[in-house]
Amino acid sequence: MAAPSKTVQDGRTGIVGRFDAFIGEDNSIKHALGVYGALTLYFIWFLVPILWLALSTIKTGSIIQADELIIIPSIEQITFANYEMVLTNPQFQTMFFNSIVISVSTTILTLIAGVLGAYSLSRFSYPGRKSLLIAFMATKMLPPALILIPFFIMMYTLNLVNSYTGIILAHCVRALPLALWLLKGFFDDIPEALDEAARIDGCSHLKVLYHVIVPLAKPGIAVAAFYTFVTSWNDFLFVSILSQGDSTRTLPFGLYLFQSANTVNWGATLTAATLTAIPSIVFFALVQKYIVKGLASGGMHGS
Amino acid sequence: MATPHKEQPRLQQLRRFVTEAKWFTQETWIGIGLVVPATLMMMVIIVYPTVRAIWISFHSRSFLQLDQVQWVGLANYQQLLEDPVFSQALLQTVFLTVGAVVTMYLLGLGLALLLKENLPGLGPLRSISMVSWVIPPVVIVIIWSWMLEADYGLINLISQMFGGPNRSWFGTKTWALPLVTMLRVWKDVPFVAIALMASMQSIPQEYYEAAEIDGAGRLQKFRHITLPNITYISMIMIVIETIAAFNSFQMIYIATGGGPVNRTEVLGTYVYQQAFQEYALGYASAVGTVMLVLLTIFTVVYIKLEDTE
Repeated sequence: MAAPSKTVQDGRTGIVGRFDAFIGEDNSIKHALGVYGALTLYFIWFLVPILWLALSTIKTGSIIQADELIIIPSIEQITFANYEMVLTNPQFQTMFFNSIVISVSTTILTLIAGVLGAYSLSRFSYPGRKSLLIAFMATKMLPPALILIPFFIMMYTLNLVNSYTGIILAHCVRALPLALWLLKGFFDDIPEALDEAARIDGCSHLKVLYHVIVPLAKPGIAVAAFYTFVTSWNDFLFVSILSQGDSTRTLPFGLYLFQSANTVNWGATLTAATLTAIPSIVFFALVQKYIVKGLASGGMHGS
Repeated sequence: MATPHKEQPRLQQLRRFVTEAKWFTQETWIGIGLVVPATLMMMVIIVYPTVRAIWISFHSRSFLQLDQVQWVGLANYQQLLEDPVFSQALLQTVFLTVGAVVTMYLLGLGLALLLKENLPGLGPLRSISMVSWVIPPVVIVIIWSWMLEADYGLINLISQMFGGPNRSWFGTKTWALPLVTMLRVWKDVPFVAIALMASMQSIPQEYYEAAEIDGAGRLQKFRHITLPNITYISMIMIVIETIAAFNSFQMIYIATGGGPVNRTEVLGTYVYQQAFQEYALGYASAVGTVMLVLLTIFTVVYIKLEDTE
C-alpha cells in the first residue's frame, strides 16, 4: 500500500514530481539520502544472505567451497547440476509430494472449519461467544512443546503416528485460531444488511455464507489460506515427531536430516533449501497486497 | 417487519412473540452449530493435551514403556529446582526473549519510519522486506549456517580479507546465543515493521499538518503524534513477539541443538530434548508446565489488549 501522497501541487507526477515535492517540502536532499542510506544498511543485513543462498545454488561444487571470495561466478562456473540432482532425487520428490498433500489438506480443512466458525462468531449472538473468541486466541499462546507430548501419546494410541491424518490435524489446529480471527475480522467488515436481505429472500444461512459472504471476503480468505499453508508448509516440530519414515516426511524435516547428516554437500543442501522456500514465497507474492489489511485486523503471526 | 393488525392486537402480539422466540432460538442453535467443528478441534487437539500434559507432569513416565505410569506428586518440580541445566535454560530463555524483542521492536520501528516515507522505490522494498517472515525456519538456519560456515562462509571470507578470525560461529560459546537471537530478529523484524507502518499510515495527515503550522520539527512530530498513535499496535506486537520468542524452539534446535555445552539450551528445546531424547515424559511436562505458567501472564496481558479494541 502506498503512503498517502502529499505531492503534485505543481502538476508534475511520477518519480521526478514526487522527488521534487519531497525535497521542496522538507528542503533537504540530505533527508532523502539519509533514508536511502539507512535502508541500504538494513537491506545488506537482510538481503545479502538470501541472494548469497540463491547465487550459491548455481555455482559448481568447487566454486561453492572455494576459500576465496567469488561474488559473481563466471560462465564456466555456473551450473544447474545442483537443481538437476535435487529435482531428480526420488526422496526429494516424495517429500515434496508429502508437503503438498499435507499443506493443501490442512488449508482446505482449516478454511472449512474457519469460515463456518468465523461466520458464527461474526453474525450470531449466543452465550459464551465472546469467551470462545478469547479462548481461541489464548490457545495460540500455549507452548507447542508442552502439547506435543500428550498429542504424540494420543496419536500413538490411535495408531496415527506416521500417517498424514495426524500431521494434518496438528497443523490445522496450529493455524485455526488465527485463521478464525482473521476471517472474523474480514466478515465483520461486510455490512450485515447484505446478508439480511438475502435471508429475507429466503436464503438459508449456508446459502448466505456461500453466495454473499464468501465472495465478498475473498481477500480475507486468501490471507487465511496463505497463513495456514505457510504454517503447515514450514512446520518442523510436529512432523519431526509424527513422521517416522519417508512415507510422511515433509521438506523442512527432510532438509534438517539431510543437512545434519551431510554438511559436506553444500550445493545440494542449499538448492533443496531454495526449492523448499519457493512455494511459501510464491503464495506470499500472490496475496501480499491484502496482508497489510490482515495485519491491521488482528495479530498475525507464524512461529 | 410486518405491521400488526388493528384487530386482536394482543393475540397478534403474542403470536409474533412466539415466532420471534422460535426464530431466535433456532438462530442461536445454528450459530452454535457452525462454530462446533472449530471448537471441537481445539478441544481435542489443544485443550485436552494441555490438561493432560499438566497431569503427566505429576507422574513418572517414559516413552519406552508408555503403559507404566507412576504418580510422583511434585517430585518432578523438586528436581527442576536442583537441575542446573534447567536454570541455565530459563536464564537463556529470558536473555533471548528480552534481547530479541527489544532489538526487533527498535529495528522494526526504524524500518517502519523509513519505509513509510514517500520516496521513489520504497513500494517494492515494502513487499520484498517481508520475505524473511515467510521463509521456512529450517531454510533460515541453513542460510545463516552457510553465511557463517567455517572456511567457505561469506562472513569468514570477508573477515579473513581484513585479517579477522575464521571460525564456526554457531559452535562458539560466546556467539551461539546472540546468533540464535539474531536469527529470530532477522525473521520477524519485517513483520513488526509492516504492522507498525500500517498503523502509522492510518494516522490522519491533518495532525501532522497542524503540527507543522505550530512549527514542530521532525522529532517533535514523531514524539507527539506518531508515537502516541502507534502505542496500541506496539503493545500488541511486543506481547506477540514475547510469547513467540519465549516459545522458541525450531530454529535453535536446528541451528545448534542446544549446544555448545548447553549454551543455547532454552526451555522449548529442553522440553523437546527431555521428552524425545531422554524419554522423560513427566520431567519434560514439568518444564513445559513452568513455561505455561510464565506464559499465562503474557497471554492475559494480550487478551486484555485485544479486548480493549
